[in-house]
Amino acid sequence: MPRSTAAVIARLEGVAKSYSGRAVLRGFDLGLEVGAVVALLGPNGAGKSTVAGLITGRLAADAGEVRLFDRDPRDPEARARMGVMLQAAGLPDTLTVAEVVDLHAGYYRRRLKTKDILAQAGLAELAQRRCDRLSGGEKRRVHFALAIAGSPDFLVLDEPTTGFDAEARRSLWRLVREKADEGAAVLLATHYMDEADALADRIVVVAGGRIIADDTPAAIKAKVAGTMIRIRTRMTLAALKVLPAVARVELRGADATLLTTHARATLEALFSADPSLVDVEVTSASLEDALADIISSTGQEAA
Amino acid sequence: MSSLVASAPGIYLREALAEIGKSARLPQFLIPTIALPPAFYGLFALGMGGGSVEIAMRLLATYGVFAAMGPALFGFGASVAGERESGELELKRLSPMPAGAHVTAKLVATIVFSVLAFGIIYVLAASAGVRLSQEQWVLLAGVHAASVIPFALIGLSIGYRLGQKAAIAVANVAFLGMAVLGGLWMPITLLPSFIQSAAWALPSYHLGALALMVVGEGNMANAWLHAGPLALITIAAGLLAWTGQERHAA
Repeated sequence: MPRSTAAVIARLEGVAKSYSGRAVLRGFDLGLEVGAVVALLGPNGAGKSTVAGLITGRLAADAGEVRLFDRDPRDPEARARMGVMLQAAGLPDTLTVAEVVDLHAGYYRRRLKTKDILAQAGLAELAQRRCDRLSGGEKRRVHFALAIAGSPDFLVLDEPTTGFDAEARRSLWRLVREKADEGAAVLLATHYMDEADALADRIVVVAGGRIIADDTPAAIKAKVAGTMIRIRTRMTLAALKVLPAVARVELRGADATLLTTHARATLEALFSADPSLVDVEVTSASLEDALADIISSTGQEAA
Repeated sequence: MSSLVASAPGIYLREALAEIGKSARLPQFLIPTIALPPAFYGLFALGMGGGSVEIAMRLLATYGVFAAMGPALFGFGASVAGERESGELELKRLSPMPAGAHVTAKLVATIVFSVLAFGIIYVLAASAGVRLSQEQWVLLAGVHAASVIPFALIGLSIGYRLGQKAAIAVANVAFLGMAVLGGLWMPITLLPSFIQSAAWALPSYHLGALALMVVGEGNMANAWLHAGPLALITIAAGLLAWTGQERHAA
């Protein structure tokens, strides 16, 4: 569907990219709009980092078109409006946090003051610390500081919280949220469902180099049934599939997992069909379940 | 629309200062590159030379090239490899930093450290009684400062191709190999003849020979015999560095 180009920050059209003969992306289209936080979600190797690499101009597409602020992504004027946090990025060991941040901020005409960048990234106390004396989490926060140094209109975060503990993750999410609230668009490549759920206005699910779902977190969750029922049963797969309100069934031996849109109706039918039913466990479906459902159902279509 | 990228001269300046600051705090860089060449000069030229001004002058010419070699090989070879491996370089490439700022900053830092290293040797030589005309000092410093360029290109070729550990190892071998085989520590006429002919492929040999001409050894009219091969080696190193950089960027 054509969208207005005025509000588009980055755009991929019909993009193909392969590495040594192996196709990672095929006919890939994606538009990112002003102010939106978009999560690019998918299993490892799905092509998320490749999309981020194309948008930042780190990689060149084999076919199709990639535009950043309606320019070539390698154009410094486009890059000046973007802040990037890569998966693995070192820091100069012998410089202090303040020195590194100041040097990087100096590339941007619209730079923030070093003091303000450090405060926003929660690094005020570490300003004079040498980079080789930082913990892994502290280094990631410095990378976030570098990403926001030029007051970007667009932040690209590639797996920003990999290896973080729960508290460090929430603290980084808060920082990203603040930038988004100030109006920056964010592209977040992640394989953590909860991260996408916590931050994104829109989730783009990528698997096998294609977009298989593109919607709000709520709509993605609603695309599949709300409740998971796990049981041990003697019923056959065919019998389980025809139960009322059942959207998906997995059966391994006697262990069955049912995804249902109406838990009560499914449960009542289950108990009347199999009075010997034991070990019933009912949980609400997570975003993770929803995605597993979407990925497996598109897989079946393709097969 | 006015540019959103900061002014280029400011970026080049800050980048160069940061490069100097980075290395100045690194003892494993300073000791072999700044302290070692003057220390060797003091030991071999002044100490073991037995007070001979002739030896002190001859080795002033060649040790100056030696002093220019360390910062170039290690500053480019090892440090570019490390920055590439850690992803620092990637982050700079995705910023609006002008493409040439990084290498230019390293070149400036390398020249600063080289001048420091051979400057100390000049002071040692002068205090040991070496006397040159003002013109000779200027020419000598010119040869020594220009030495940085071929060595920096060789360092870059290494740094763009190898991991940090391998780059340090190769830079060390190149550093000592080009010093000995290029006749910077002792005349290559003292080496076996097949090694002597190999010296023609080394920039250290030609730079040493040019520096020796400045202090009065050899005929200046033959300078092109060394300047020619040196130019070819420099172009070859430049191509190697360029293709390495392209490989990294791909």
